[in-house]
Amino acid sequence: MGRSKLKVALAHEKGVDFKKLREKKTHKERVHKKQKKAGANGGTAAIPENASDDENGWEDEDETEGGALIADEEAGDRSSDDDDNEDEAENPDLAALDESDDSDSSIEFEKKIVRTPKAKVTSIVATASKKAAEEDDEDDEEDEDDEDIPMSDLEEDMEDEEREELNALVRSRTTINNTTALLASLKRIALPTDKSVPFTAHQSIVSAEPTADGIEDVQDDLKRELAFYGQSLAAAKQARALLKSEGVPFSRPTDYFAEMVKDDGHMARVKEKLVEAASAKKASAEARKQRDLKKFGKQVQNAKLQERHKEKRETLDKIKTLKRKRHESGGGDLGEKEADIFDVAVDKELKSSGYKNGGGRGPPGGGANNKRQKKNEKYGFGGKKKHTKSGDAVSSGDMSGFSAKRMKTGAKPGKVAKTARLGKSRRQAGAGKR
Amino acid sequence: MASVYKTLSKSMNGGKPETPANGVRKNKQKTLLLPSRGTTFRHRHLIQDIVNLLPTAKKDAKFDSKKKLFLLNELCELSNCNNCLYFEARKNQDLYLWASKVPNGPTVKFHVLNISTMEELNFTGNCLKGSRPILSFDSAFDQEPYLQLIKEIFLHVFGVPPGARKSKPFVDHVMSFMFVDGKIWVRNYEIKETDPSKTKAGEDGDEEVSSKSSKGRNKELDMSLLEIGPRFVMSPIIIQEGSFGGPIIYENKNFVSPNQVRADLRRKKATKHNTRVDQSTDRLAKKGDLGLRTNGGKKAPVDELDSKKLFA
Repeated sequence: MGRSKLKVALAHEKGVDFKKLREKKTHKERVHKKQKKAGANGGTAAIPENASDDENGWEDEDETEGGALIADEEAGDRSSDDDDNEDEAENPDLAALDESDDSDSSIEFEKKIVRTPKAKVTSIVATASKKAAEEDDEDDEEDEDDEDIPMSDLEEDMEDEEREELNALVRSRTTINNTTALLASLKRIALPTDKSVPFTAHQSIVSAEPTADGIEDVQDDLKRELAFYGQSLAAAKQARALLKSEGVPFSRPTDYFAEMVKDDGHMARVKEKLVEAASAKKASAEARKQRDLKKFGKQVQNAKLQERHKEKRETLDKIKTLKRKRHESGGGDLGEKEADIFDVAVDKELKSSGYKNGGGRGPPGGGANNKRQKKNEKYGFGGKKKHTKSGDAVSSGDMSGFSAKRMKTGAKPGKVAKTARLGKSRRQAGAGKR
Repeated sequence: MASVYKTLSKSMNGGKPETPANGVRKNKQKTLLLPSRGTTFRHRHLIQDIVNLLPTAKKDAKFDSKKKLFLLNELCELSNCNNCLYFEARKNQDLYLWASKVPNGPTVKFHVLNISTMEELNFTGNCLKGSRPILSFDSAFDQEPYLQLIKEIFLHVFGVPPGARKSKPFVDHVMSFMFVDGKIWVRNYEIKETDPSKTKAGEDGDEEVSSKSSKGRNKELDMSLLEIGPRFVMSPIIIQEGSFGGPIIYENKNFVSPNQVRADLRRKKATKHNTRVDQSTDRLAKKGDLGLRTNGGKKAPVDELDSKKLFA
């Protein structure tokens, strides 16, 4: 499975015997291992991942790893490592001096593992603890990988390959999931995060259950972010409880000012953005309201106009009836006539009804002279008439006569319904009938 | 001279600031962040954001080579770093992140997707520069060995050890890592504590004193989160045993390179044209077979009763 069909075919072409190859390899590795063992015994007694490693904790792994180290390097490292344990009061050595100089910035490095160029040896070193068990089945790396691949994966791969062959697409990927090596590396670098160390040492929290369970569709941004938020919030709450129980200050006091991740300029920009968004929202709401009002306002205007017409008609009716009354009751009485001329009673009546005479500046008797009124309107007596019909900002801004709906229907605004006035011939025909 | 005095006084006191009583070595982390050549502005901003968030980070100049990555080990050693985040940009669009434990590894290579930097996100959250984050991991990180390893590396790189040099004493943000859809999603939130009753007196003064005695009162604080940014998603590709080298101990089978994706898309687009060309050639061949073409193809058999034959 490890080899692709192409490779197998190629090998067959060349006449390579895999069994022989494998035997050669295993032999080589045995030799390697023997050398390793000899080296380890010569350096320190420690074998990688032995029992002492566990009790000393993660920081001691340098020495244990040192089994694979060159001896002199090891010795040098040990001197700097162990000088803490020596009685330093008596001989503060040079190494300690150096250490104190850059104690703030220096990082305790892991000692560098010297790797042999052949990569697979290291992985075998990492798994050397099991070498007794593995004595008989020392395989080459490919076979080792095969062991790590679960059966289901194998089948999946087979299916994949078949599919790919069908598609004539060569995109074969073999899984590498070397669990032993992964765990070994993990063990090598792991910081303690269990109960033995205070929470404040690492401040990491693992959620109770996988967040992926709460997300049905990864593309659904809202749900996904909510799940993420939930995990983070739970972690924060848990961390607060743990930190408080350890007596570590958690929340920042209000009078503690320090540099922030986002500077003031950035925050101002963020705020501006927020304000902008809010105002845009508000403006759009306002516009919508205005539109609705406008729709409604037309009706209001119509109603108002009608009301005004009605009022006018009523007053005119009143005047008419008054005049008639006068005629009927009026004799040749001069006083009465004079009153009639000047329409005192009418004026009174109108005043009582609240109707304001718009006739303007006619004779004090009222707007009886229709001709004069018209002339006044035309020639003066009412202020400047020039430019009254020309458009200005207000008139051009006035869109009350405009309706998008009517524009779209295509009806001309001035045109009335066709039934209002028939054509000339028909009118005449109709007149003839009558 | 001062340093000599310091050493002497230190040794006199018998104090070992590096080693607490239980013999555990002090956790010290320093991370070297460096981009490759050819990063876009967004990549640069992301790197800047991470530098801002991590007090343990040290930013370095662009790394020139894309082949000799092992040189990074030396660079890290020069600047005293034991972690390295190397952002490799390819084709001016794809960003790969190498996270390594220098000098012995392991190294994890990620493909970074969906980058949104703080600058463009306009989130209202903010936190102290250098405050120690709470690292929140999805429980999926404990299930697979390779995820455990990735989690450990994140713990080293993104966690700030207690008493780190530029760190601040309060905890005001959470960094969360989620494993969803085979990818690792990273979010960063500010912790906002609000008092529901709004009547809190002398909280800052006697924080330490009251931490145990009046836990009930402190519990009443409502907690909410505000996102800070940046957002990004990381898809693990490989894990190497060494630092920028060594055998590959994990490979993500499901990872499809963005180049492949783009090529597929292009091919998909091209199929329309290709089918049309195929159809036209087919039609020509068919016509030729029927003898309907003037030149090329089969000639139609000459009919004896054809008018051309008859009246030749």
